[in-house]
Amino acid sequence: MGRLAVRGLSKVYGKRDAPNSITALRDVSFEVPNHQFCAILGHSGCGKTTLLNIAAGFEQPTAGVVLVDDVPIREPGWQNTMIFQDYALFPWMSVYQNIVFGLEMKGWPKHKRNGITRHYIDLVGLEGFADTYPHQLSGGMRQRVAIARALAVEPRLLLMDEPFAALDAQNRSFMQDELVRIWQREPKTVVLVTHSIDEAIKLSDCIAVMTRRPGRVKEFIQVDLPRPRDEDDSAYLKLKRHLRNLIHDETGDR
Amino acid sequence: MQSNHLAPINGPERSVPIDDAQALPASPAAAPLGVRLRMWLFGAVSALPNLIFLAVVILFWQFISKVWLPRIDPQMSVLMPAPTTIAVTAAGMIASGELFYHMIASLKREVSAFLFAAAAIPLGIAMGWWRQVYSQVNPIMEILRPIPPLAWIPLSILWFGLGDEQNEFIIFLGMFFPILVNTIVGVKNIDPNLVRAARSLGASEHKVLIRIVLKGALPQIITGVRIGLGVGWMALVAAELVGASSGLGFLINDARSMLRTDTITVGMLTIGLIGLLIDTAIRVLSRRLLPWSLALGK
Repeated sequence: MGRLAVRGLSKVYGKRDAPNSITALRDVSFEVPNHQFCAILGHSGCGKTTLLNIAAGFEQPTAGVVLVDDVPIREPGWQNTMIFQDYALFPWMSVYQNIVFGLEMKGWPKHKRNGITRHYIDLVGLEGFADTYPHQLSGGMRQRVAIARALAVEPRLLLMDEPFAALDAQNRSFMQDELVRIWQREPKTVVLVTHSIDEAIKLSDCIAVMTRRPGRVKEFIQVDLPRPRDEDDSAYLKLKRHLRNLIHDETGDR
Repeated sequence: MQSNHLAPINGPERSVPIDDAQALPASPAAAPLGVRLRMWLFGAVSALPNLIFLAVVILFWQFISKVWLPRIDPQMSVLMPAPTTIAVTAAGMIASGELFYHMIASLKREVSAFLFAAAAIPLGIAMGWWRQVYSQVNPIMEILRPIPPLAWIPLSILWFGLGDEQNEFIIFLGMFFPILVNTIVGVKNIDPNLVRAARSLGASEHKVLIRIVLKGALPQIITGVRIGLGVGWMALVAAELVGASSGLGFLINDARSMLRTDTITVGMLTIGLIGLLIDTAIRVLSRRLLPWSLALGK
């Protein structure tokens, strides 16, 4: 399970009402049904990373709550695990050790850990790289390890912070396809933060478009296009134009 | 001789993986022994031209001690023993076991002082990790740190008397602060996303500390240990000059009273050589054990 509900979420940095305080989020609410893929789309500085950090339990909201299956998130843990833009692989651990880490933390017995780890190494296409160290891998392969590591703990909610931003265009597009393939094999409730309209349309069931600071949800859009998504399809292009207009409005004001 | 025959046969096909092995710090150990030996020999031979200046200096030194000084003032030549004289003295001291005896005495002090100074590692981790510990302990450390270990000699003699404990205390002081400072820096420089990732995978505070913070700070801690052992080694000799009846510091000071400049020089060279050996050993060890740390800089 993994039904996500964000209710009246606000985050103020600094003392409330103090002149130098920054309101990153104001009254953000939306819901993501179980096993749906949701993108949060917005400019940098719109509070989307703050939203993700609160959902991951790294930061506490000033008001409101993030619920997974009606249980509020208060601290980081395997239920709401996060994938980082810079991969955050443990450099002193091999691919296998990185992926098995979360299972060790869950206290699972060795024979069970081994099977699960092998399964996820295969799932992300890293057969034969189990004993390789992160510094010996390319960016795309590192992100595969990070994805396998996050999936291995079987989170209810998988959070991704611009996971492909550090990759070149070709690799990014390839990894997006891979992510869809992996997600279809192992459905999870995913919240992905991005500033790329194409990435949002290509991957998501729903898109939350954020306003500039203070961040609010400007529009919550359901994407009902069939997968794999064709970038030349008229519905795709129509949605893309709509999203571009929404985002463009946000660039102008201030 | 067998291996000499085999090596050239292995050579050509192996040459590609060896290039790879040099690029990836993890794998030189994977190359076959014969090839590694040949690589080492090649490296040693091609480094020989670097020693030309050293050879010239030694020859010049020999000339001054044996030809020039005796001609001007025979008495003076005692003050500057020739390289050949030093070599003969060294051979004698090695054969009699005298050099070895003092070397072991010094190394024993270095090791036991290090066992105490290693307490800087947990303290450094605590100071780097918990802000409260840092702000409470750091003022004390900041006052103590600039005091040279040698400035502690008078007080330490009154505290411990002359002997091993006093010597080890001085060495300990030399080692403690480099290890502490580097451990703190190592902990503070850990990528915060690694800590977040670990927590996000369900690691408890305790597990984060052991498996992420300690591991992540390890390269810097080892750098601290390297510097600490070096400073400790310098402090050791100074401490032995003042208050010991064995050890390399004692050896050279004792030889002074008998005008044995050759013995003094042998002692000094031994001190330098062992310092170099300790440093190299730790460098090689950390490269072997932490191959990933070299790649972090890229």
